[in-house]
Amino acid sequence: MAVKRLARYGAALFAIVSVFALVAFVYSQVGNTKGSFGVLLENYVLAIISGYLLIFLGMLIFRYAAMILLSFMEHLESMFKRKRATPQVEYRQEIGLPMVTLVVPAYNEGPVIQPAVRSLLELDYPNFEIVVVDDGSTDDTYEKAMVIARESRDIRVRVITKRNGGKADALNTGMSVARGEFVLNMDGDTKLSRNTLRACILHFENPRIGAVAGNVKVLNRENIWTNIQALEYVEGLAMARKAQSFMRVVNIIPGPLGMFRKSVLQQVGGYESDTFAEDCDLTLKILMHGWHIAYEPTAIAWVETPSGLLDLLKQRYRWTRGILQAARKHSHALWRPRSMGVNFYILWYMLFEGILWPFSTVLGNIFFVYVGVQYGLVTLLFYWWVQLTVLDVVAAAYCVVIEEEEPWLVLYAVALRLFYINIIDIAKVIATIEEWRGTAMTWGKLEREGKL
Amino acid sequence: MDLISILATVILVTTIGTMVIGIGAYIAFKLRDKRKPSKDKFDSTLGTQGSNEPIFLNRFVPATTVNPTIDAP
Repeated sequence: MAVKRLARYGAALFAIVSVFALVAFVYSQVGNTKGSFGVLLENYVLAIISGYLLIFLGMLIFRYAAMILLSFMEHLESMFKRKRATPQVEYRQEIGLPMVTLVVPAYNEGPVIQPAVRSLLELDYPNFEIVVVDDGSTDDTYEKAMVIARESRDIRVRVITKRNGGKADALNTGMSVARGEFVLNMDGDTKLSRNTLRACILHFENPRIGAVAGNVKVLNRENIWTNIQALEYVEGLAMARKAQSFMRVVNIIPGPLGMFRKSVLQQVGGYESDTFAEDCDLTLKILMHGWHIAYEPTAIAWVETPSGLLDLLKQRYRWTRGILQAARKHSHALWRPRSMGVNFYILWYMLFEGILWPFSTVLGNIFFVYVGVQYGLVTLLFYWWVQLTVLDVVAAAYCVVIEEEEPWLVLYAVALRLFYINIIDIAKVIATIEEWRGTAMTWGKLEREGKL
Repeated sequence: MDLISILATVILVTTIGTMVIGIGAYIAFKLRDKRKPSKDKFDSTLGTQGSNEPIFLNRFVPATTVNPTIDAP
């Protein structure tokens, strides 16, 4: 541990010394130029940063264009029901539908567990069971779930209670008792659309598909924070995940809705508790085993998102560190492009979104604020902001149309760029630094308000 | 001042403001996270040491009885 930490600090020291050596070299080359070292240094640093930000802007434009194009291709493909692989199993006949086990992990979900399980009983599918795993709750989650289990006659509802061991442990427990050939993992506070099982199961006609990621939408659209998150989810899923689905390389199966072949879960060893993003870790393990992952936009999980700033930061902090932990766990794929194939690109893309993007946005803001205050070039900041906002608005408009969402959500793209991203990115940057330093962290749980 | 300059000033002020809010909110979130959760006096699930124990699962302890012998007919 100490050696690893020493190596990290050594690497950072080496990077800093390298930068200074580079600057000193440049200065020695232009030593005859008039001006002090400080002015020269400032000019060079500003020139390097502005060059980097230009490259970053180019990467963003390319990223948005590629994502929109690929997601549109996926949209067309799903519209015309084109298939790449010849189906070996037919899941369209009512009688041949395989059994699906819905695993609902619940820790202190008392206010929401009953409506959540009741909504599951309404799902349109003839052959499924529900397993509620009470993860050592200290409230009345178990009793409330048991009430539903006793009421239910047509659909089997089982409630298991166990010592608190975290979400990953609860999901593994659910998987181990599942009787279905397929397992749908979700959150205790999630409400699923009625067609979820029928829509997801069709993807498994392709024997190479090991898991299906569902669509996630915000239920509690009650204030500016939750409305911006609603747009963020729509953008993330309609654009990024659809594009990934077209390439069959969805990199995160969301916790609120993911369906798996039980055999695949067993093959990869289920969930592990060594990261704070167990869903991301599991997804990477499935991809590393050579399975493909599909995305089903019509299977929707409605979730409650943080409605206050501090809860939101807590959630994003955990996500950022969790994704970095998962990426580090599978970091061997970062350096083996030939043997890892597409997983190599997935991991690098995750690092781009998890580290490079927030760092660059914060760097851009600091740079343009400095230039604006120091040199009076405030318009530069304005044009930087306008360029990013145009990208956001275009992406938001496309996603709202594709997802058939409420049009007013597009207006939140401006608010998203004006203050939301700045605040979130600062939390992401600090989370990255803390993850790098190995700062201890706790899971943290969003207090449910029972909005289902 | 032209419109661009006014908008640019607005963006400048907003950017500085949100960066300050971002850092402040992060500090507030960390401080809130560090606070020890207060224990509910009336929480019946708390043990004598104040720790939470599962209340629905009783550990199975096999009885230590001698194996029954079968009498020969």
